[in-house]
Amino acid sequence: MTEPTPPVDPVLHVSSTVDSPARNTWRRFLREPLGVAALVVLLLLVFVAVAAPLLADYPTGYGNAVLSPPSGGNWFGTDSLGLDVYSEVVWGARQSLLVAAAASLIAIVFGTLLAVLGAYFRRLDAVISVIVDLTLSLPVLPLMILVAALIGPSTITIILVIAAFSWPEVTRVVRSQALAVVRLPYVDAARLMTSSPAWIIRRHVIPAVMPLILVSVVLTSSRAVLSAAGLAFLGLGDPNTWSWGRILYEAQQAGAMSTAWWLPLFPSLAIFLLVLASTLLSTAYNDARNPRRNKS
Amino acid sequence: MSLLSFVLKRIGRGLVTIWFAVTVTFLMLRLLPGDPAIAIASTNMTPAIRAELLRTYGLDQPLPVQYVKYLGQLLQGNLGISFSQNIPVTDSLMEMLPWTLLLVGVSLVVTVLLGIPLGVAAAARAGGVLDRLVQVIAVTGQSLFVPSVGILLLYVFGLQLGWFPIGGAYTDGTYGGAWYLSVLSHLVLPCLSLVLVQLGSYVLTVRSTLIEALGEDYVTLAHANGLSGRRVLWKHALRNALLPTTTLIGLQICLYLVGGVILIETVYAYPGIGRGMFDAVTRLDFPLLQGAFLLLAVVVVVVNMITDVVYGLLDPRVKVGA
Amino acid sequence: MKSRPRLITVAVAVALLAACAPEAPSAGGGGSASGNQVTDATLTIATTTDVVNYNPLVGNSRSDYWITNLMYPHLLSIGPDGDKQPELATKWGYDNPTSGYYEIRSGLKWSDGQPLTAKDVAFTLNATKRDAPAGTLTGQLTNFESATAVSDTRVEVKLSAPDSTVIPEVGFWGNIVPQHVFEPAGSVAKFANDGSNGGWVSAGPYVLTSVQRGQSYTMERVDNYPLVDGGKPKAAKIVYRVFPDVNTEILSLKNGDVDVIANSLPPAQVKGLQSTSGIKVAEVPGLGYSHMTYNMTKPDLAKKEVRQALAQAVDYNAIRKVVLQDQGVSTGSSPIMPVLKNFYDDSIKEYRYDPEGSKKLLQQAGYTADGNGNFPLTFRLIYSLQDPVTTQWATLVKDGAAKAGITIELQGLERNTYLAKTNAGDFDIYAGNFAIMDDPATNMALTYLPKGAINYSYVDDPALNDLITQARVTFERDKQKPILQKAAKMVRDNVYDNVMYTQNLYVAYRSDWSGFSVKPSELLSIVNPISVASATKSK
Repeated sequence: MTEPTPPVDPVLHVSSTVDSPARNTWRRFLREPLGVAALVVLLLLVFVAVAAPLLADYPTGYGNAVLSPPSGGNWFGTDSLGLDVYSEVVWGARQSLLVAAAASLIAIVFGTLLAVLGAYFRRLDAVISVIVDLTLSLPVLPLMILVAALIGPSTITIILVIAAFSWPEVTRVVRSQALAVVRLPYVDAARLMTSSPAWIIRRHVIPAVMPLILVSVVLTSSRAVLSAAGLAFLGLGDPNTWSWGRILYEAQQAGAMSTAWWLPLFPSLAIFLLVLASTLLSTAYNDARNPRRNKS
Repeated sequence: MSLLSFVLKRIGRGLVTIWFAVTVTFLMLRLLPGDPAIAIASTNMTPAIRAELLRTYGLDQPLPVQYVKYLGQLLQGNLGISFSQNIPVTDSLMEMLPWTLLLVGVSLVVTVLLGIPLGVAAAARAGGVLDRLVQVIAVTGQSLFVPSVGILLLYVFGLQLGWFPIGGAYTDGTYGGAWYLSVLSHLVLPCLSLVLVQLGSYVLTVRSTLIEALGEDYVTLAHANGLSGRRVLWKHALRNALLPTTTLIGLQICLYLVGGVILIETVYAYPGIGRGMFDAVTRLDFPLLQGAFLLLAVVVVVVNMITDVVYGLLDPRVKVGA
Repeated sequence: MKSRPRLITVAVAVALLAACAPEAPSAGGGGSASGNQVTDATLTIATTTDVVNYNPLVGNSRSDYWITNLMYPHLLSIGPDGDKQPELATKWGYDNPTSGYYEIRSGLKWSDGQPLTAKDVAFTLNATKRDAPAGTLTGQLTNFESATAVSDTRVEVKLSAPDSTVIPEVGFWGNIVPQHVFEPAGSVAKFANDGSNGGWVSAGPYVLTSVQRGQSYTMERVDNYPLVDGGKPKAAKIVYRVFPDVNTEILSLKNGDVDVIANSLPPAQVKGLQSTSGIKVAEVPGLGYSHMTYNMTKPDLAKKEVRQALAQAVDYNAIRKVVLQDQGVSTGSSPIMPVLKNFYDDSIKEYRYDPEGSKKLLQQAGYTADGNGNFPLTFRLIYSLQDPVTTQWATLVKDGAAKAGITIELQGLERNTYLAKTNAGDFDIYAGNFAIMDDPATNMALTYLPKGAINYSYVDDPALNDLITQARVTFERDKQKPILQKAAKMVRDNVYDNVMYTQNLYVAYRSDWSGFSVKPSELLSIVNPISVASATKSK
């Protein structure tokens, strides 16, 4: 058992070594094998997405061997049009990661902005938290389906739809931290020094909530990947670009999910790795950031 | 604040939430592109048929008029008539709701019964091998793509091993006791899928709150008073770990009842509200969609209220309504 | 001391569940076996679309038709050569160009004992004309004026204009409904027919008895069904089960949880299922076609050379081989289906796949290609994302056109948006399919006459209009045939329609069932009433 210590406000946490808190966090992070492995996997996936043209030809047209199992020529097999599944997964990484990143970025920027503004301006806070609560009570997937079906499937629609339903959770999480920060004495002091709220927010509040934002980015992105894949599976994904969800959708439409096991396996595996790595990474980062919360 | 005024306030908030959900759905359906007349008549549509359909649905009226009419109907408890089925929306929804409740309810119970012990075990030996294992298992479940897992389970346990039936909520042609048994056997695989996906957050939440609780002053005090480690763990820390778990239950119900089950009900051919909603979207059946969203909002509100009350009862430090 | 909150929560949850839980149905019978066949067996049929509506005059989904066809008879059916065959009606025809008739079988009864007479036929047709429900039958009644039951078995139909297609088409498409059930409800367009007033009334072979929406639709045998051998349907019960995901459906067939899959199989699954033990696959001739139409209101597409160039830029063979797995048959680019043996003209040949030839045609029409070989021609092609086969060949069409220097932008749309855009003419190229084009004269009228309901090329060719109008008032088959063939050739030569293939469909069933009779089209296939009523299960 550890020695008992009172819970410490992470913002005022005083480092026990001479190094900066960031370096300490990094060092503690490196000690956790799960986190390091997750980071490696994540970087690998990003690399695949970015380097797609170098890794595989863009899948187009058709092939002669339809639904054939993995072989020397087709590492992941072929799909119902005879196209190489490996290329589809590689190029699909681009779209899937793009959608996830874009959607979560929008959600996080928007959500953080609202959270911070609400924390700083008390009158706004009441309105914002009501909107957040109400939006959180809406059924997310059905609404996403409704909007995507009505507007029509495209990359922009998917990104906006996912972002629109992800921001409230970000706001809720960031808001509680922002509220704590805003009430701190040094922020009050800052208020005396300058009349520009924007400066205070940028200089003090945002850095304080930054760790939470980082964690949020990773978590929201991974959930966005699952949402996007789910929407694509239901037929609401972008039909003109390759994405992991689209491979799964075509497998479903061709009735091949149980007969051509390689078709659903590889994109599912890709999604699985991305989400798994993201979550483990954020947990490890959180643990590294707040060692008091973790038993050593 | 008295209990009465607390309850009234919560009910008030609940009504506002329901109204919000209903209004958002109503507006989205009418403002976004999508023509229910086409969905019904498809290639048989002539201008005459279209005009008649729109008139029947009340869609030829100006938006504010439609809205007021709809609210008026709602207050009388009338959810309208389904465009495509021509039967009252309430009838249609009530046929589907019990199955979703069954599926989500059972999986919730299983998740809680499994999740809490796992979270406790992980917290008790935080940082150790068991902890890491539990974490990985928990996160794995959350990262799975539901339809792929569903088909896999059906293939392995349904087709190859033959342990469970494939698709549906029960076996037709069974009666009485056999029918209940068939409901159970049809429930296993969908439930399993739902549990796999939900388990992670439970375990992780229990684990993290328990770890924090273990560091709290009163636990130290209990130790200092000589209570054995085990008893301290279970008696004090767990009780406090239950608080966020209860909140999480409320949140999970909302998340999964109101949407996550769509994929599961589609793959397992389970006749619940998730699928009903998806079908209604494809058919642009406005009243059915509005009714379904209303129902979900009501469920969310009710669950949140129950959660708050239970939360208040559980935590000795929180006075209900404070 | 605090009580056990966890147990309370669990108890409350269980109580809530129990309160909302569905109840077990009450007891019924089962099947028995005798000889080689199981008597009174239950046939379980799987479908991917849910049943929406039990009113056959409105009709909404494929499953709706399959189920209502087992309850409400058609006057006419269709044979393997595409000719109309008797079903409820034994004789039909015209007394003069504006007066037709049906003679129906006598001695038929509805399942509640009421007689099925010509009055029901007349009522059905008149009410549909009057109330205009949004269904296919309404569309067939344009030149219909009124129907009268002159006896228990004879219906006389008055037309507002001479039209040789009304009697056969109305007979084929229209379900006859019981007057005593539908009339009290008022408008047949709004009648839900959900069996809430004491159940359903059926003319056989089966009647709906219980419904669990989204799960199963149970139908029980109507003992007296003269149209099947022996007068009594073999299987005692039919259960339609809904599987939204075709993958689960196939697993369920392999497992024996269902006996038949009613929806046609995805082409890629046919071979696999053919070689699975315990499963048989039946081939169902297609009655419709897949096609592309070029919107002739757009200036570029109004030019015949451009349309021809586009038609020659499609690799039809690749589409049939890869996307359709050789399950598609060319129609010779003609709108008359090969299965309609009495009309089909095999001298009409399909467009050749010749991108270089396309380029020449475009140059002849005055277009010049740029340095990359691309012409200043961009077309937007719409298709429905709900149609997996079209979705797949759309990309091949785009690739083929690119080889000819034509740019095609694919716009895959969700079904309702697709229908809306189609209706509004908001496209350059339309890709889609018609499931049933059973009567060339009717079909061509709808497809090629100006203001025709499915005229998606917006063609208005006076010579073609004359041919079609003439065909519609020609009452003798021998005289009608050359006119229709001439019209088909004109359509093909002018590329008023690019008919790409007719798809033969495959349906799978468990091999312990037999006795199915195949009829063309997915609507009938092996789930048509007579087939279902004749199916037996071996032990």
